[in-house]
Amino acid sequence: MTNIDPSRSAGATTSGLSDKGLSARSIGVLGATVIGISCIAPAYTLTASLGPTVAAVGTQMPGIFLVGFIPMLLVSLGYRELNSAMPDAGTSFTWATRAFGPWIGWMGGWGLIVATVVVLSNLAGVAVDFFYLMLGQLFGNPDLADLASNVVINVLSCLVFLMAACYLSYRGMETTKAVRYVLVAFQLVVLVWFSVAALVQFGTGTAFDALAFSAGWFNPFLAPSFSAFTAGISLSIFIFWGWDVTLTVNEVTKNPKTTPGRAATLTVGIIFALYILVAVAALMFSGVGVGELGLGNEGIRGNVLAALAGPVMGPFAILMSLAVLSSSAVSLQSTFVGPARTMFAMGHYKALPMRFASISPRYKSPGFATLVAGIVAWVFYAAMRMLSTDMLTDTILTLGMMICFYYGVTAFACVWYFRTEAFTQARAFFLKLLAPLVGGVILGVIFATTLYDSMNPDYGSRSNIGGVGLVFILAMVLFTGGVVLMLLMRRAEPAFFQGRTLRKGSSTDRA
Amino acid sequence: MTRVANYVVAYEATERGNEAIELGVALARLTGAELRLCLVLPHSSAVPAKVGASASDFQALLEEQGLEWLAQAALRIPADVVATTNLLWADSATEGLLQAVERFDSDRIIVGASRRGILNRFTIGSVANSLLHASPVPVALAPHGYRAPEQITRITCAIGTRPGWRTLLDSVLAFSEGLTVDLRFVTLVEVDAYRTHATGGEAVADENESGAHLRTVLDYFSTHSRAHGDITTEVASGHNVEAAVEALDWQETEIAFVGSSRLAQPTTIFLGITAHRMLHALPVPLIVVPTGTHARLTR
Repeated sequence: MTNIDPSRSAGATTSGLSDKGLSARSIGVLGATVIGISCIAPAYTLTASLGPTVAAVGTQMPGIFLVGFIPMLLVSLGYRELNSAMPDAGTSFTWATRAFGPWIGWMGGWGLIVATVVVLSNLAGVAVDFFYLMLGQLFGNPDLADLASNVVINVLSCLVFLMAACYLSYRGMETTKAVRYVLVAFQLVVLVWFSVAALVQFGTGTAFDALAFSAGWFNPFLAPSFSAFTAGISLSIFIFWGWDVTLTVNEVTKNPKTTPGRAATLTVGIIFALYILVAVAALMFSGVGVGELGLGNEGIRGNVLAALAGPVMGPFAILMSLAVLSSSAVSLQSTFVGPARTMFAMGHYKALPMRFASISPRYKSPGFATLVAGIVAWVFYAAMRMLSTDMLTDTILTLGMMICFYYGVTAFACVWYFRTEAFTQARAFFLKLLAPLVGGVILGVIFATTLYDSMNPDYGSRSNIGGVGLVFILAMVLFTGGVVLMLLMRRAEPAFFQGRTLRKGSSTDRA
Repeated sequence: MTRVANYVVAYEATERGNEAIELGVALARLTGAELRLCLVLPHSSAVPAKVGASASDFQALLEEQGLEWLAQAALRIPADVVATTNLLWADSATEGLLQAVERFDSDRIIVGASRRGILNRFTIGSVANSLLHASPVPVALAPHGYRAPEQITRITCAIGTRPGWRTLLDSVLAFSEGLTVDLRFVTLVEVDAYRTHATGGEAVADENESGAHLRTVLDYFSTHSRAHGDITTEVASGHNVEAAVEALDWQETEIAFVGSSRLAQPTTIFLGITAHRMLHALPVPLIVVPTGTHARLTR
């Protein structure tokens, strides 16, 4: 059926001591929940998304956060089915290739790589901002915090951060369980602290631009326009990005039947509560105006918590710096693994040059692919710093689009792969066809709408080239770049594109 | 003895891994043991990250690569040596190798030193280093660039006066039983090491004391040894351990034995400071033997 199975052609007798490479460590509901929250990295996602979301939908932010979860949920259900049907595959690239053949598969893989490269650069950008902010708080010298706005220092610091993360990833290091627990607990405590402090200031009348709470904030359909609504949903997908991991950790959980589902539910419950709390508190404290601390202020919106932590938390603002810095640093390192492994798999199936398929003999990690991911992320970051007046906002908007693209491709891959067996029973119909289909359609609509809207020069940071919005140009460069690379690859190495390395099929095929 | 001894060879697809194989071959030719070439791959579960790149894809391809590496490793084994290749999954290389030792009931672990060593000498890599602090069986270290000789002709045993020397001797006795190989016992004497104003007389006294100890060693060994070959003793002195090691002649076809530190747990090894410094100057493979009271004697 596939040629993913390793060819056991070793000359000498070979025995495996432990059957498969899966860790014997078993993860319970709590452990899987911690993994889920740690993947989402709420401190980082909130600081990156609060501003752009308010810019899109204003006070409807809490409602948008709630409905934004729906497409993520629908697609993740499909992900889970693909994951259990093709246990040897693990990325959008292999899934989409198996379902749709090499061309769409290649672009699906490309979408994933691009999305991760964009998020790597955004993560590094947030980490750099908070690093200098923390130095400033530590030494009581605001000049240190301002160093982050010096482009040269900023780009070079980012290089250091990315290279450090890249190196740790190359060495195959993973965050230990204990560190992960501590960081997750710390993030939750600091974010709740921030929210409570903001609400207390609202109560005592010291809030920056007090905005009375309204139940109408939870109605997403009060968003100013359909474009605003889709932009908000696109950002919400970004804030839940990573949640699907809890559904696919079943291979190492104590009870693969129940643990992932319970952990995923618990994770999303905690994340919902946290996001709503922080979103409401931020709205009540700052308002949506364009004043110094207003959520609509373009000067602060790419990294809102950096600006608000000081006024809200006073001397304890440094805790927020630590929480965001640690969550983005850990995310930075672990996020390298995704694109590196996808490029590695693409190299292996000859969809990318062979060099990408090399594994470091010492550290057993895809060394070349990891290095390439690091370099590309940094070049992207440096280019964006030069071109955009609000690099963080623009990258988040681009990112939302990219996530919609590769999630959408994967969702449709699920529908297509299971097309014949989906009609055999109700459960299969719902999980393998209906849910991913609806999710995929929603993502497709969001993708198309935001792509169209981003042509407007006023979109995002209002950076534009020749009157066309920078975000649109960026998306086009990334997509056409992918198509060009794909065609070059097709010329140089046709095997993959002729379906000789990874065959197309559906769930009912038998070898 | 019906049981055939076996040695775990810590393999990785690098020069260091090849050197470990070379030493494995040399020792297997000497004692007739079988080799277990072990490649340890890291357990990695789905790495928790925003991009749900589950481990399975990578894991399957990594396994494929591992088997390919092992197939290459098997080609390095000459016809006169029996070897199996084994793919292991563990959280760390050290953990995997220790599990293999337990599983195969192995007698020794053979590991290459770090590539970064200069002048063909030892610098300990991280895997070797952690094995040297945790292994229940002797650890054999291959120096940089090591190639197996046709035959090992001499075993040099560096022996001190501290408790544990007898266990080291017993280990060498067990290892050399029935073999045709020369044995050389040396003690290393540091002159002027901590007595800056040492007189020539004191140094001579030191050497005499060492000489007397070596005679005790020789008596003990000659009574028990069932090896065929010449037995010699030597006292090497130098202003430090490295110089003392360099003062000795070393043949390309020899291996060295040293006991582990008193700091070790009763059953495992722990490389002492002197042994560690010896390593820096040693041009031949070194086997570090557990000398704790509960150490198991192996072939």
